[in-house]
Amino acid sequence: MTEAFYITAADLAERGFENTPDELMSHRHMIYSSPATLDFNSPGAKGFGVKRAGLAIPGSVMLLVAPGCCGRNTALLNELGYNERFFYLLLDDTDIVTGRHLTKIPKACKEVCESLDYTPTAVMICITCVDALLGTDMERVCRKCEDETGVETVPAYMYALTREKRLPPMAGVRKSVYSLLKPQKRISNECNILGYFSHVHDDSELYDLLHSAGIKKVRELARCSTIEEYHELSRANFNLVINAEARYAAQDMEKRLGIPFIELTRMYRLDKIRNQYRLLGQALGAEFDDEKYYDSAKAVVEKFIAEHGNISAAVGECVNADSFELALALTEYGIKVSEIYGTVGERNFVFIKKLAQISPDTRIFSNLSPTMLNYERKTDIDVAIGVDAGYYHPDLPCAQFNTEEQPFGYEGVERLMEELDEALKKEEKK
Amino acid sequence: MKKFLRYISPLAPDDSGACSVLYELGGITVICDAGGCAGNVCGFDEPRWFTKKSALFSAGLRDMDAILGRDDRLVAKLALAQQQLERDFTAIVGTPVPAVIATDYKALERMAEKKTGVPCITVATDGTKLYDKGEEEAYLKLFKKFAEEKLPTEKGTAAVIGATPLDTGYITAERIVSAIKAEGYEEVKCIGFDSGLDEVKRISRFEKIFMISPAGIRAGKYLEEKFSLDVEVHGCPLPEEYIEKLKALEPKGRTLIVHQQMAANAVRDIIGGDAVCGTFFMLDSKAAREGDFHIADEEDFAEKAKGFDLIIGDISLKRALPEHKGDWFDLPHFAVSGRTFTK
Repeated sequence: MTEAFYITAADLAERGFENTPDELMSHRHMIYSSPATLDFNSPGAKGFGVKRAGLAIPGSVMLLVAPGCCGRNTALLNELGYNERFFYLLLDDTDIVTGRHLTKIPKACKEVCESLDYTPTAVMICITCVDALLGTDMERVCRKCEDETGVETVPAYMYALTREKRLPPMAGVRKSVYSLLKPQKRISNECNILGYFSHVHDDSELYDLLHSAGIKKVRELARCSTIEEYHELSRANFNLVINAEARYAAQDMEKRLGIPFIELTRMYRLDKIRNQYRLLGQALGAEFDDEKYYDSAKAVVEKFIAEHGNISAAVGECVNADSFELALALTEYGIKVSEIYGTVGERNFVFIKKLAQISPDTRIFSNLSPTMLNYERKTDIDVAIGVDAGYYHPDLPCAQFNTEEQPFGYEGVERLMEELDEALKKEEKK
Repeated sequence: MKKFLRYISPLAPDDSGACSVLYELGGITVICDAGGCAGNVCGFDEPRWFTKKSALFSAGLRDMDAILGRDDRLVAKLALAQQQLERDFTAIVGTPVPAVIATDYKALERMAEKKTGVPCITVATDGTKLYDKGEEEAYLKLFKKFAEEKLPTEKGTAAVIGATPLDTGYITAERIVSAIKAEGYEEVKCIGFDSGLDEVKRISRFEKIFMISPAGIRAGKYLEEKFSLDVEVHGCPLPEEYIEKLKALEPKGRTLIVHQQMAANAVRDIIGGDAVCGTFFMLDSKAAREGDFHIADEEDFAEKAKGFDLIIGDISLKRALPEHKGDWFDLPHFAVSGRTFTK
């Protein structure tokens, strides 16, 4: 039986992205949805999959039009209080080959609206692989629904089949949730942060820095509790995109609403964070004074290294970071990264190349490889970072670092170090 | 409106049922999907996912695989997995995607067997039916493929078909085995539940075959015809604490039990009286009693549940009956709510 497949950072960097081994390319092998990966490997599974994300518009409801199997795990969201907002139109075997269900959707929408004692702000219609294959024109179906109900109706495409396409489901749903915004007069000192379905941590310096540059109002979808607040998002002078999955939504907002966008990357290397803020300041015509945030984060890192520096970590990808960038940052700080469980892509290959220079023996695994069924720890690891890494090493302290609220910037670095410190100290107390 | 759900989340689908039967048999099971169906199975419908490892994978289909019908790629991936994991058999479980493109499962089975060198079974589920239909087909395919010869009957042995977490609410077979042993059997095996492929292959050695959910009935009939085995419908053993609680229930006029047929039968045997069973799942004439009925959907449930004074069923169904004024006894059904008896 084959052991879990891995390749060292040095070997992978030498081969180059074009020659990445098949075992690390998910489209070239079966997909192992291990307990470690469930919350990111299914567009409708845990966390913010398409179904939950589609309900980000305040006061909206969702009609899932699909075979029963696609909506089965929605019951998980009931525990989060979503059960009053989900409705289902189940498809039978004739529907999925003839597409006859399309004529029933407007009636189902009407039934949704009539069953509520309030008028929803929008009905999100979530469709799945079946309609991807049938080539359903969902925009047209939505217009029919609007004629029937008078309520704005928006498609949300849960097309797992297109996950590696230009517009994967999680990028598509980001466009959907901003699609109800209407053009209005933009206010020069207001901006939006786009990227996640939860907001950035309140104590991120990003807010302070934006305010210092004269931005009076920073809005995020996740902070909108009413539809009126939601509509204020289109007043922004610009959008800050902090997750590439929101780029398509930002491009659409630029086209429809005239709101330009600036893209930032979440990073954990202090000098890179500083550099990015400098560039952001230039783009906004301001000079950010990030000294105190930089110094504070640097002090936290140094304190952590002084206390725990001689440790080895395993870094996963169910974590609020790019696993390779995070591994690189930790290595630069002096922590040994023995193993990484991540998805190699063109964009993060640059981190692998750098990692290869300073930590050539770091082993890179793919969470999705069937061989991970046989995973056994064969390196020295003191702490796991990420939910998935914690799954592989249940006997080790784990910093999950995977909250719904999002870390960003220096604050993210501090939070990571604090979580790591807490996990290690908890272990010491045992 | 038919097939419209306002209160209840979708019930466990047929692909989950098929995977549940295959889960512990030691093969490679491939869900022929893009990733979402596997996420539903592994993340919700398979409670053993977190306690027992199984080579259950998603085919990771992409749109062009489906549009162009690239079965050869699927088989190549399966062969790679078999090369890496060296299992006794492979199984391919259908989802809506192969149903839309009319995948030829028979051809897929032949191609897979040729390429991997081990037996393959395919279960033509499509995600639109309920779990028991998937289980039913999986059991039947397994016995047809692997139970080849009549072995000498071993006295005092019993096998149980239709025991999965979806049917029973257990994540191990312990309670079922002890309940059947208490009836005088020395050796009891639940097929695919704390037992492997060997018991499927040697099914004809058992003195008695019990079917504890409707999903096992067709396989039971097949075994009866092929090996002249002694098959019998049996109530699904309930946990001791539920039996005690049910015994303590005071008669409340008309009682409705909403569960899979054999679990409902077990409840009926405990509480006595003339309770009827209503089920969203298969209603088999062999197991059903007078007055039992099938429930087609939420609308039908609301209509047929009228006038009952006591309902025994999964509490998550209660939302669908806002006008029910009678009592409710919570009896978890994993295929409905995803709750086991142990959590």
